[in-house]
Amino acid sequence: MNIRNYNIYFNTHTISGIIICAILYVIFFAGSFSFFKDEISAWQKNRSAHTHQAAANDYDFLLDSLHAAHNLLGRDITFYIQDNNVQTYVNMGASQDTTVKKKAAAQLKPEGRRGRGRGNGDAAYFQYDFQRKQPASYAESYDMGEFLYRLHFLAQLNQVPIRIGTPFGYLVAGIVSFLFLFALITGLLLHWDKIVSNFFTFRPWNKWKTVWTDMHTALGVIGFPFQLMYAVTGVVLIVNSVLILPFSKFLYDGDSEKLYTELGYNDDTTYEYRYQPLPDRVALNPYLKQVADRWPDSHVSRIYIKNYGDESMHIAIDAVPNFSRNFAGAGKIVFHPATQSIVHEKSPVTSASYVDRVKALVYRLHFGDFGGYPVKISFFVLGIMGCLVIISGILIWLVARDKKSIPAHKRKFNFWAANVFVAICLTMLPVTALTFIAIKLNPAADQAFIYRVYFYSWLALSVFYIARHKLHVTNRETLLTGGLLALCVPLVNGIQTGKWMWNAQRMGAMDIFVVDFLWLSVGVVSLIAFYRIRLDGKKASKPKQKVTAKKGVVPIA
Amino acid sequence: MPANKKYLSSPWQRFLKITAGFVGGYFVMLSLHLLLTHVFDQKKVVVTAFITGYILWAVLLLVAFLCKSGWKISGIYLALIVIFYGAYYLLNN
Repeated sequence: MNIRNYNIYFNTHTISGIIICAILYVIFFAGSFSFFKDEISAWQKNRSAHTHQAAANDYDFLLDSLHAAHNLLGRDITFYIQDNNVQTYVNMGASQDTTVKKKAAAQLKPEGRRGRGRGNGDAAYFQYDFQRKQPASYAESYDMGEFLYRLHFLAQLNQVPIRIGTPFGYLVAGIVSFLFLFALITGLLLHWDKIVSNFFTFRPWNKWKTVWTDMHTALGVIGFPFQLMYAVTGVVLIVNSVLILPFSKFLYDGDSEKLYTELGYNDDTTYEYRYQPLPDRVALNPYLKQVADRWPDSHVSRIYIKNYGDESMHIAIDAVPNFSRNFAGAGKIVFHPATQSIVHEKSPVTSASYVDRVKALVYRLHFGDFGGYPVKISFFVLGIMGCLVIISGILIWLVARDKKSIPAHKRKFNFWAANVFVAICLTMLPVTALTFIAIKLNPAADQAFIYRVYFYSWLALSVFYIARHKLHVTNRETLLTGGLLALCVPLVNGIQTGKWMWNAQRMGAMDIFVVDFLWLSVGVVSLIAFYRIRLDGKKASKPKQKVTAKKGVVPIA
Repeated sequence: MPANKKYLSSPWQRFLKITAGFVGGYFVMLSLHLLLTHVFDQKKVVVTAFITGYILWAVLLLVAFLCKSGWKISGIYLALIVIFYGAYYLLNN
């Protein structure tokens, strides 16, 4: 290979990698758990969504109670149904009917009329639970699944008061995923010549540097397609306005809603309001039944009701194919209740367009929701492998710079940088396990509680290990505490709820079972890793821990 | 093991390359995709850009580093932007 290019790949790979390593680790770690977002929610609330049937969702009950409270005549109502079919987000707009609107406005303070929720007359946005037939505000329905899911795109960082037009956390996450993409490309080119030979090289009994290098290369190469997919889809999911804004400016007259509608993200079709109320109330359940009969291998993802109760009322239903049937596809059917007719129909299973296919590629691959638990668990393992690639990368970076030729102050700086990164990253395992236990012990755990437990324990543990500044101690002890705490998670759940793993499995509550199973496996693997490291440390403690410390290995009898 | 310094550029050159690659690369990618809307259906181009756009942008950033001079790559990217956007603009009118 061209030696100059090689050095450039090397340098750009190293620099971009070391800049993003700690944040990327957080993203990968929290992201891996986010595959099980719904499962974690079910686990925390001890309410399995697995036995729930979508067909049991009673929309008319919800609409009736909404109608009683708000008079739905002339309103647009949108349901965003969650993947587990148990919860839905509901967006209720202000009425098109001026008499209804005036009456509603009279009850409210006069405000601006645009925008979702605030200021849009008496519009409302909330979550609804079909199992319990209860609405809940966002804060009330916050749980650990939501916390880890949001942590994986750094939503919590949005509270940092840096105003640059886009939420700070999302921007950081976007830049990190773009640099990640860059680091992947340079990394691949760097190893291109030796990709085959390196793949089969694993020298675990060698010097630590070779162990890390081999691990970084082997796991990096195995995980490459997976990670490349995540880098690209991650950028798309978090900062796609980088493309959407200019494209809508040049191609859609600056109207990004139009672009979103054309790509099937949203339905902003409006129908002219006729002021001719329908004689009978329109029930939604029969239409959903009709959709279920027409497209048996799919599930409803969104329902748009336009101009409720008027002659111009339309019901648009979006459906996506079940993964067992089709990977890509987006179905849409529009009913016109006044004439009992179907205005538009596109099947989710037979007519996937090019746009549907690309979107399925981006979203379904990222969410890993196309093959049930086998795919989710493989993706979880690949995600954790990504974490190992990152940690070994930090260690290579450090060891490569720990040489006599490098000035002492630089070596000191490098060591402390690596020390801080490693402490922050590795303490995530015990902290996450600890928070899972805490939310089980405290059934009233809400957003504030999760924040307090997670972030304070993370801060305390990180500071502790940074202060101790012994990388191998950090590694060993977080593995030990993380492993032990992980094993406690299913135990605590069993004791608190009686849903021991075998009970959950027998009751068909697979979502609750999966979370326990995951933690059990994490615990066992961590303890095995801990045991191997300790064995290794005993066998040859002297030569290899040069970087970290002298009084390193404390023999535990 | 760190990369051999003699193959890396001076801070000023590096700054030029990063700006050329990051900002210039972005606009090259964008104008190319805009031009492609004249060849293919525009919503297909937009949705394809979700994947090709970001990869192309990252590759262009790398190409900027590989180039010998930061000035040269800035010039090349600028020329590409003018060509792509110019063609897009002319075909539009």
